[in-house]
Amino acid sequence: MSNHATHITPDQSVFTRLSGVATPGATAGIVLTALIVMPFMLGGSWTFTLGLCFANSIGVLAVSLLVRYGGEVSIGHTFFTALGAYSVGVLDTRYGISLWASVPLSLLLGVCFGILFAWPSRNLHGIYLAVTTLALALAVPEMINNFDSLTGGYEGLYVATPLIPGVSMGMQRYYVALVMLVIVCFAVARLRLSRQGMALLLAKTHPAAADAFGTRRVWARISIMGISGGIGALCGATLAFSGSTVSPGGFTFWQAIFLLVGSVVSFYGLSLPRVLLGGAFVTLVPQLLSASGAWIPVFYGLALLGMILLGHYMPRIRKAMSRNSEVS
Amino acid sequence: MTFWGSLVYDLFPLIWSGMITGCLYALGALGLVMIFKCSRVVNFSHGNVAGLTAFLVYGLSSGVLMSLSWGAAVLLAMLAAVAIAFLIYSIISPVVFESDLTSTIATLGFGLIAQGVTLLVFGADIVALDLPIPRFAMSVLGLLVTGYDLTVLVVAIVTIGALFIVIDYTKLGIAFRAISENPFAAEVCGLNLKSVHYFAWITAAILGVIGALLIVPTTFLSVTTVATFMLQAFAAAVIGGFASLPGALFGGILVGVMMNLFTFYVSPEYSSTFLLGVILVALNIFPNGILQKVGGARV
Repeated sequence: MSNHATHITPDQSVFTRLSGVATPGATAGIVLTALIVMPFMLGGSWTFTLGLCFANSIGVLAVSLLVRYGGEVSIGHTFFTALGAYSVGVLDTRYGISLWASVPLSLLLGVCFGILFAWPSRNLHGIYLAVTTLALALAVPEMINNFDSLTGGYEGLYVATPLIPGVSMGMQRYYVALVMLVIVCFAVARLRLSRQGMALLLAKTHPAAADAFGTRRVWARISIMGISGGIGALCGATLAFSGSTVSPGGFTFWQAIFLLVGSVVSFYGLSLPRVLLGGAFVTLVPQLLSASGAWIPVFYGLALLGMILLGHYMPRIRKAMSRNSEVS
Repeated sequence: MTFWGSLVYDLFPLIWSGMITGCLYALGALGLVMIFKCSRVVNFSHGNVAGLTAFLVYGLSSGVLMSLSWGAAVLLAMLAAVAIAFLIYSIISPVVFESDLTSTIATLGFGLIAQGVTLLVFGADIVALDLPIPRFAMSVLGLLVTGYDLTVLVVAIVTIGALFIVIDYTKLGIAFRAISENPFAAEVCGLNLKSVHYFAWITAAILGVIGALLIVPTTFLSVTTVATFMLQAFAAAVIGGFASLPGALFGGILVGVMMNLFTFYVSPEYSSTFLLGVILVALNIFPNGILQKVGGARV
């Protein structure tokens, strides 16, 4: 990498030069500034869609975090998003309590249930967690529809209590989602630098070494699922507020897989621009392809496979190309 | 009389029909376990691909695509399943040897594609697909045994018996077991990992088609039927320990009976939640599979 930064040869494209100059922090800053001024330039429907993008980005981040720090895959994160969304929805419609109370509650619930579902497979190979989450994803719509006295069944709930009274609801739905996304991204970036984050990564890559340093693998696996579940619940809470409705259609098995696809498409990235890419993919593709519904799974499947094969072959192609350029 | 009478009157038929469907869950679970044992990949596309082939049988025999006889349609669908399994494994095989997590995610991609193709070709309608079997019912010791039950039982016994004979006595089966036990040593001894993986993937696809065709007459065929059927197969595989073929068979029958009792005595609306509970409890009590505790470590 240092070669790229120091010797910029004339034949390199503008893009690589720019990417050599821009640090991750600067890129995130530019993206963030653009997003803050966005509502003043776009129409209401685009502002709404962008709010949903931010909310889904948080969900994508939750899935990516589990892959990166835990080395495990979840195809049932709709359980956590549903948990967060319904705690916001139920508190709002039944008791008129705004986000100030429901967001901490959903975070707490998400962490607790994450730990609960990671517990049985704590000593086992990572695939057991994946199978558990598969069952979780299929059970979610069933639970929502059967607790219809609380969740409103198929009709769902409408979230209308503002966070700050007096400010236009459209603006709130946008900026709350943006602020949540920024907070979560910042917290995840801090986790990477913290002692706990290092311990989690060590437990993933070198379990024996982590054991020797006092980080038990079981602890690492359970806590990362707890963190990921908590972030998933925050995604749901944001979805409920920004999307204004909470209904079972948003928490199907396919939605859970789409979150994973978004995570793969962003190459399991944890930085703000990367998760935005994943969130935008999850939100915008169904809207763009809404006229031809059956193509959505095909497209998602192809995108998933394409990214995985790209991730597999790209380093090889790059190596072959650099070898060629050395020869010539 | 009333309590015990109704218990005997309901319970035995429930257990019997649970065992019949359990055999089908076992067929699905055996495929999952075969793939996992040798290539360490959890094949999440199993249900959707099997569903697609069941739709192919429907399409080829009912005149939507062609109007062949049932047998010819099944033969063609089997060939398609083999081709699909071959294709899937060929595409992900470079990833399989690198990371089992990434290849597991890749199978989800194939599942999505199979689902989308089913929707594109056959639509989201519900169709009926029956088996050409003699319709009769007889009473054996108070149990109502239908032609369907006997067909399922015979097909399952023949298929599973053939599978175990192949794995226990043929060279291919020995290679399969060697690779499951220790891939590195097996490769050093001159075995070709890829060809054995192909064997496992293709056999699993065939088992999936058989399971799907036999389960459809009990309900109906829609895009999601076979995919949800496979959740039962996953639960069966987890109960069996995910790496044991007899465990998968046992787990399948257990799941079939438990599901039947649960839907009858408690509620049919919470079946997925019940399976989730079964998986969580099974992982807690038998982390290495239910047969491990009884028989000790398998060598």
